[in-house]
Amino acid sequence: MNLRPHHFILWGLFIAGMFLMPELVGKGTLRTMIFACYLAMFAISWDILSGRTGYISFGHPFLIGIGAYTTGILTRRYGFPVEASIPIAVLVTMAGGLIVLLPALRIKGSYFALVTLAVMELMYQLVPVVRPDLTGGTRGISRLPALTRGAENGYYLAVGLMLAVALMAWLLMRTRVGTALWAIGMNEESVRGSGLSTTRLKSFAFLVSAGVAGMAGAFYAHYLGTITPRAFFDINVLFQIIVAVLIGGAGTIVGPIIGAFFMVFLLEWLRPYLPGQERFFVYGLIALVIYMYQPRGIMAIVEGAWTRLRGARS
Amino acid sequence: MTMALEVRNLVKRFGGLVATNDLSFDLAEGESLGLIGPNGAGKTTVFSQVMGELRQTSGSIALFGEEISSLSTAQRIARGVSRTYQVPRPFSDLDVRENIRVGLMPDSLRAMIFGAADRDREDELALSVGFTRQDLDRPASELSMGDLRKLEFARTLATGAKVLLLDEVFAGLTTGEIAMIAEVIQDLRHRGFTFLMVSHDLPAMEPLVDRAIAIERGTLLAQGAFADVLADEAVRASYLGVA
Amino acid sequence: MMQIIIQGMLLSGLYALIAMGFMLIFSIGRTLNLAYGAYIMVGGYIYFWLSQQLGMPKIVGFGGAVAVGALMGLLKHRLIVKPLKGDPVAVEISTLILAVIMQSAMVLAFGDASKILLPLIPGVVTVAGAQVTYNILAATIMSWVIILALYAFVRGTHTGRAMQAVSMDEKGAAISGVDPDRINMITWAISGGLGAAGGVFFASYTQLSPSMWVAPVIISVAIVIVGGIGSIIGTLIVAHIIGFLEITVVAVLAPELRGVFTMVLIIGVLIMRPQGLFGREEH
Ligand SMILES: Nc1ncnc2c1ncn2[C@@H]1O[C@H](COP(=O)(O)OP(=O)(O)OP(=O)(O)O)[C@@H](O)[C@H]1O
Ligand SMILES: [Mg+2]
Repeated sequence: MNLRPHHFILWGLFIAGMFLMPELVGKGTLRTMIFACYLAMFAISWDILSGRTGYISFGHPFLIGIGAYTTGILTRRYGFPVEASIPIAVLVTMAGGLIVLLPALRIKGSYFALVTLAVMELMYQLVPVVRPDLTGGTRGISRLPALTRGAENGYYLAVGLMLAVALMAWLLMRTRVGTALWAIGMNEESVRGSGLSTTRLKSFAFLVSAGVAGMAGAFYAHYLGTITPRAFFDINVLFQIIVAVLIGGAGTIVGPIIGAFFMVFLLEWLRPYLPGQERFFVYGLIALVIYMYQPRGIMAIVEGAWTRLRGARS
Repeated sequence: MTMALEVRNLVKRFGGLVATNDLSFDLAEGESLGLIGPNGAGKTTVFSQVMGELRQTSGSIALFGEEISSLSTAQRIARGVSRTYQVPRPFSDLDVRENIRVGLMPDSLRAMIFGAADRDREDELALSVGFTRQDLDRPASELSMGDLRKLEFARTLATGAKVLLLDEVFAGLTTGEIAMIAEVIQDLRHRGFTFLMVSHDLPAMEPLVDRAIAIERGTLLAQGAFADVLADEAVRASYLGVA
Repeated sequence: MMQIIIQGMLLSGLYALIAMGFMLIFSIGRTLNLAYGAYIMVGGYIYFWLSQQLGMPKIVGFGGAVAVGALMGLLKHRLIVKPLKGDPVAVEISTLILAVIMQSAMVLAFGDASKILLPLIPGVVTVAGAQVTYNILAATIMSWVIILALYAFVRGTHTGRAMQAVSMDEKGAAISGVDPDRINMITWAISGGLGAAGGVFFASYTQLSPSMWVAPVIISVAIVIVGGIGSIIGTLIVAHIIGFLEITVVAVLAPELRGVFTMVLIIGVLIMRPQGLFGREEH
């Protein structure tokens, strides 16, 4: 990806706009945006692994859930301060993911997707029954300590985290590791034939992805204040993450962000017209249609339109 | 003289099919060896075993005197052997320069993250196999078959290996392109590179090799000077279909 | 003990049935078709709608479920798999989206709460001291009838053999005069029908709920992979391993751990032996 001046200008405007937002919109919209920011972080995390290498993870809710549950259990059951529990949550997510999912990186394609899906399902069934005194069983853990007071501060925190994660991912993907991960997605044998240990590269992508997922999951848990197995280890969570990435554009940094905001706001906009479950049905259909029309997402659609526009003018 | 590659009693079975049958040969450092045989003779399978992409059923493979059978492909490449593929395997969404960059990358995460790409070397490699400056930014998905072979060759060179296994580098190339690649190979030979080459284009291969070996159904038929091997009765029978 | 054996046989038969339908499509494209879960779920709901809400005869409800399942399979192939040209990642993801859409469609039509299906055949019979409902017995017998019919079809008919040929080597099959497109369509339709049939039995075994599809789809994929892709016998064996494992866990340990061990087994085997227990190594 070549940087042009207009990229910096667009990013500058975007960041300024994000930070001015609390002046412009109401509390309700702000809460929607907070959710979009966390979804964007989950989406970036998924994209670092799956969007680049083509190893589709159906298990990201599992990673996010470990982060959330670790900080929940540490703060509520053992009285840890959040300054300690969140970093620990990140480490536990990376370690937990490593033990369970890393061996799965040796296997290919659908098998990897299946194993990650099974791991998520396993957690969904396991968390409520094992040590309910810690996990709170099906009812989960409530009254997690809040990190911020009021929607505005919660918003600044979420935006700040999202931008930090995006910047980190962007810097990383600009390096040769980013190119190599992308190359794995196109032809893994050739990467190996170029003298690189693909297992090490995939593990690295996986660890970074897990770290981001754990961190975002932990912060999200404190923002929500309550965690339950259904809210984390669920196919709908997975669906929202993957759809955000694909609708935005996999393999890019802005893509997952745009996708997350687009999907979250789409859901909000539909609310007045379709108050009930229809909303999710329509939302899913729109996602499917966009995906079938352009698997590279909104980014590619916009880019295509832009080039056509410029082509028409010159 | 040190041996770049020593293959001893190599056997590879796919179920009941014997693709490599007790094959032994040597490749001296700086030497260029042609490997010939009819379709399905097992040439590519030998390459895959040397690179560790397929595990041999039995037998040994030594590179510069070191047994490499237990090493991973990446480790073998780091020790100086690399190959091209008969069917090019480019990274289709990456451009020519980035494709070569992957070959140039050191196998170390730290170096990959903190070190910068060597653009001059990328360009130099691309130009040396016959790409033009305009080609450098073209994605591999837009390249012709000939260009893909050049790219494959450049990426193999980029790994820094001194022992190169070339599988059908000339297939699909125009006469001009063949001459260009041949020139690159000659130049590398003068600089001490070692080659093991497979090609069905025998006239193009002849000036590039010191020696040849012929195999059929994984079994060694003949070895020696190129002309002698081609003149061999058994080789003529199997390969050229002349009794 | 007898209870475990009988219950195990019954559940295994059910799993085998669900896995069969999945195997058909998995052996063609090797893609994780999550929409298979949608056939299972929709099959259960269509049966519920026709026979319980509209009060039609049960056989009509069952036939309707199978027909809708087959239609879904067909549409899925026409509208999604073909346009995506079999790109496995894209198919995988689009099937996830589709499964979630169908899930919300079911919530939309029938509500969020889980439903109990009335038994297909009411009554209880005592076999060797073990209580077995006619319902489960019927489900198992039907499963076996369907499995055997499928086996006979794949082995014995021209279309069935063509399906096998296409699953092994699509281009090769095309050269020898089989129209892979038509065969693929047939396969997708049969698979959809089998999924829906399995869904009816599965729902009557457990319950009907919009999220009931995730576990059976994981289990059927796993049975197929662990059993060795394309091996009907392997599929049957693994279906029994998992069925008995679950019943034993329920009887000996605790009912809520039932799925846990299945998932652990699946994860373990896939990681250790991705080619499956009975499959050949693929290159
Ligand atoms: N992975 C594999 N599994 C089973 N058989 C294989 C495999 N790879 C190669 N073979 C068989 O091994 C034999 C040797 O194949 P190989 O590709 O090495 O021949 P080749 O000499 O390179 O032929 P060509 O000139 O056509 O490239 C062939 O009969 C081939 O079908
Ligand atoms: Mg070959």
